[in-house]
Amino acid sequence: MTDYGHDLQFGVFVTPAAQPAHHAVDLAVTADRAGLDLVTFQDHPYQPHFHDTWTLLSYAASRTSRVHVSGNVLNLPLRQPAVLARAAASLDLLSGGRFELGIGAGGFWDAIAAMGGRRLSPGQSVRALEEAITIFREIWNPAERGGVRVEGEFYQVRGAKRGPAPAHDIPIWLGAYKPRMLRLIGRKADGWLPSLGYLPGGPAELAPLNAEIDEAAAGAGRSPSAIRRLLNVGGQFSAQAQGFLNGPPDQWAEDLAGLTLEHGVSTFILAGDDAATIERYAAEVAPATRELVAAAR
Amino acid sequence: MEFGTSITPANGGDPVGLARRSEELGFDLVTFQDHPYQPRFHDTWTLLAWVAGQTERVRLAGNVLNLPLRDPALLARSAASLDLLSGGRLELALGAGGFWDAIEAMGGPRREPRAAVEATDEAIDIIRGLHHAGDPTPFRSEGTHYRVPNAQRGPLPAHHIPIWLGALGPRMLRLIGRKADGWLPSLGRVGVDGLRAGNKLIDEAAVAAGRDPADIRRLVNVTPDVPLEVLQTLEADTLILYTDDVSEMERFAREVMPVLRATNRRPTRPSWARAKRRPGIDYDGVPRSADAVEPGDIDFPRLKSTYLRGGNPGIILRPRTTAEVVEALAFARRHRTVPLGIRSGGHGVSGRSTNDGGIVLSVARLNHIEVVGDRRVRVGPGARWSDIARTLAPHGWALTSGDYGGVGVGGLTTAGGVGWFARKHGLTLDHLRSAEVVLASGQVVRVDAAHDAELFWAIRGAGANFGIVTDFEFDVDEVGDVGFGQLAVDASDPAGLLERFGAAVEAAPRELTASLIMGPPRRGAYASILAVVDSDDPETIVSLLEPLAEIAPLVDQRVVLTPYAGLMATDGNSHHDGQGEPAGRSGLIEHLTPAFTADAEELLRSGAVHFFQLRSVGGAVADVDPMATAYANRSANFSVTALGLSQRRVDAAWDRLHHHFQGTYLNFDTDRRPERLHDAWPPEHLTRLRDLKRRYDPDGVFRDNFYLGDDR
Repeated sequence: MTDYGHDLQFGVFVTPAAQPAHHAVDLAVTADRAGLDLVTFQDHPYQPHFHDTWTLLSYAASRTSRVHVSGNVLNLPLRQPAVLARAAASLDLLSGGRFELGIGAGGFWDAIAAMGGRRLSPGQSVRALEEAITIFREIWNPAERGGVRVEGEFYQVRGAKRGPAPAHDIPIWLGAYKPRMLRLIGRKADGWLPSLGYLPGGPAELAPLNAEIDEAAAGAGRSPSAIRRLLNVGGQFSAQAQGFLNGPPDQWAEDLAGLTLEHGVSTFILAGDDAATIERYAAEVAPATRELVAAAR
Repeated sequence: MEFGTSITPANGGDPVGLARRSEELGFDLVTFQDHPYQPRFHDTWTLLAWVAGQTERVRLAGNVLNLPLRDPALLARSAASLDLLSGGRLELALGAGGFWDAIEAMGGPRREPRAAVEATDEAIDIIRGLHHAGDPTPFRSEGTHYRVPNAQRGPLPAHHIPIWLGALGPRMLRLIGRKADGWLPSLGRVGVDGLRAGNKLIDEAAVAAGRDPADIRRLVNVTPDVPLEVLQTLEADTLILYTDDVSEMERFAREVMPVLRATNRRPTRPSWARAKRRPGIDYDGVPRSADAVEPGDIDFPRLKSTYLRGGNPGIILRPRTTAEVVEALAFARRHRTVPLGIRSGGHGVSGRSTNDGGIVLSVARLNHIEVVGDRRVRVGPGARWSDIARTLAPHGWALTSGDYGGVGVGGLTTAGGVGWFARKHGLTLDHLRSAEVVLASGQVVRVDAAHDAELFWAIRGAGANFGIVTDFEFDVDEVGDVGFGQLAVDASDPAGLLERFGAAVEAAPRELTASLIMGPPRRGAYASILAVVDSDDPETIVSLLEPLAEIAPLVDQRVVLTPYAGLMATDGNSHHDGQGEPAGRSGLIEHLTPAFTADAEELLRSGAVHFFQLRSVGGAVADVDPMATAYANRSANFSVTALGLSQRRVDAAWDRLHHHFQGTYLNFDTDRRPERLHDAWPPEHLTRLRDLKRRYDPDGVFRDNFYLGDDR
């Protein structure tokens, strides 16, 4: 039983389809109006059926007023880290502090290479991500004197100016499943963002992976509660309880509250492109889950 | 001539507010410089996307984007995305880079001038190649500076995104002449003489590359202090005012723009697009409000064809308001030698909503849907039935339409509207209470039972001859969830099946409306029966469907309880890609007699038709006095339709059935022989319609869809 005590957040994971062009934006607006906390889009710049996720995030943030936005997760290998750092600060400033940085080390290396990106081994990609995190944090920190200098194995920044400071302390969330990435989260990141569907063992598998992060955090002198645990989930509403996140809203709330209380998950990101489901998730599941967790805490 | 602003993207300033103000002042373009190494500036790409979300009309560009820090393949995708999201408002202006120390400090490359030109050259190819989404092959490019080994192309932008270059050196200028769509220097850097010399160099390079120099747009950044007399000598196509001072923007908009706009004579399309124009159309006289699409435009392939018909029109006009319809029609009226098609949803079988080399006036953008009272709605001709059903559903209402949600309102309503509540609630046009019509003369009238009652009569069944309806006011019905049955029955005895189907439907209460579809008789062939029961009571639904399930051995069945909006739901945005010409015939018939069904079986066996359908009419349709509307043949219980590949063969086979019918439903008939007018309208109707045609459209402006003008 590990509950890190974070406040609960509810978000959506919307397909960034390029056609119809406003599909994803309309759903982001739906989520915003429904009072959800977060709208996220996957990022596959080699996939022409999808929008460029950075452009979509910026446009969607511009069309919404309260909801936060994030990649889920951004593709580092095809994005220049120093430029991305300033773009992130820009979007955070323009949106009044509504940008969060979900990012991944990359996958689909064939497709990345086909676009002209650099092909990395899993180990290399984790080291590259660690360098990028350093660059992000240095750029966002104008208080420090002197330019940013990172002589990395993969990225070199040689005296770039610092700034701008974002509107809020942009958290860095990493999509991760393997030990090297989990340890990187423990050392350096602000959140862990896996998909439940990619955990063959189901929710029970969260426990050993959380433990890996916690151990690395402790080793780096950090509190495990400095790291938010987010989770992409899928589900469907039905009249009768038929399984995990397949039933009426009350059952969803019990399922999600269980994940919070047992595994410390505090941000639930629902995958799906149906406006009515998003509205129901916001109106019925989110408050009921919060109540259950508050009562148990 | 066009005008833009160049706003400093300072994150301590208000670039978003200045962009909005630029739009309000009537500037065409808003631009921001791009220095990703400069922490006092916003990231320009992010700012462009943000501003796109905060503006409606103005176009957007970097001025100029920093190529060394923006990967061209990613930039191509980002540009297509922003173009799609903004409705075609993105332009690309690229710079080869300067400030190399700062670029290198960020982790970017340092390039010598020659290398910078090479890299820009490669980048243009990559961006254009990825935007060329119609090409199914992967894009490959092996350059010195960029490698794109094997990328999928796309997404397709919303418009042809031009690539302009900010450049000074002769190598860059020659590259513009060879490849780019525009030159964007700053007057303060090049000077008036430098501008002239640069233009000359570009022109020469363009001619040497076999291009028309006029295809290269000349844009210039100018500061507010440049006098009007100097601006007039620059021979620029776009002037971009470089200032963050609102009062300077206002002064420029007030004093400079109107003077210079009046002198603009430059064609807006490049020569290769103009080369695809068709004869007989005054392209230079197209009203700006028409937002025309020509054969050379990127949108043309998406708009040229309709659901069933391949087309290749000379121009597509897309007005948004009644006033713009009037302007577009005035343009069409000046073109008597080319066809004129009026298009709403583009689903017509008979309708000529596309053509070859003519004008298409699309009312797709007049698609308002507004509930204006108790069971009363107003809708535009371009609205689609799926959207109307979805809007009405929360009220517990529905308006009978056709049987497919993607169909548009205009073409269906003005000819009839045979849909899923035909027997219970009548035709769509029986629900029409008033309409706004743009007449052939350009006059706009509101017609109803008390105002221009004759015209109101005519547009309900012969609308295509009398004008363009821009607003329909309908009474709608209270409709809850309905039963929808899909049955597959054995069709080895076509004649017997049809006869039993006819008897079952005629005997059923009006809650039931049914259709039957079958093809040529083959071993194992079955007929598909679709039926709606206007009831949310499962027992009633099943009891009304049972007689249909008993007319032949049942192969498969599915019955669901669904909102009407569920029956009309479509995937929404897809464009039409019809090919060739449909060959369709229609007949209205009272009873499926043994004589008719035997002849129908022979038709099916002839091989001339591949699609044969019966739809219910009768019931409430027949309650209305035949003289009440131009739609006349109300005694029929069934509308019969056949589609084949050859009009000649279909006609030959169908003509043998002709004596069974009491008329035709025009929307499903593609036969252009003049006798069809006599099928559609009995003598009294036809005489009255021809009188009205002489009164309302004496010159035959509307002549391409069952023309009533000549007494043939």
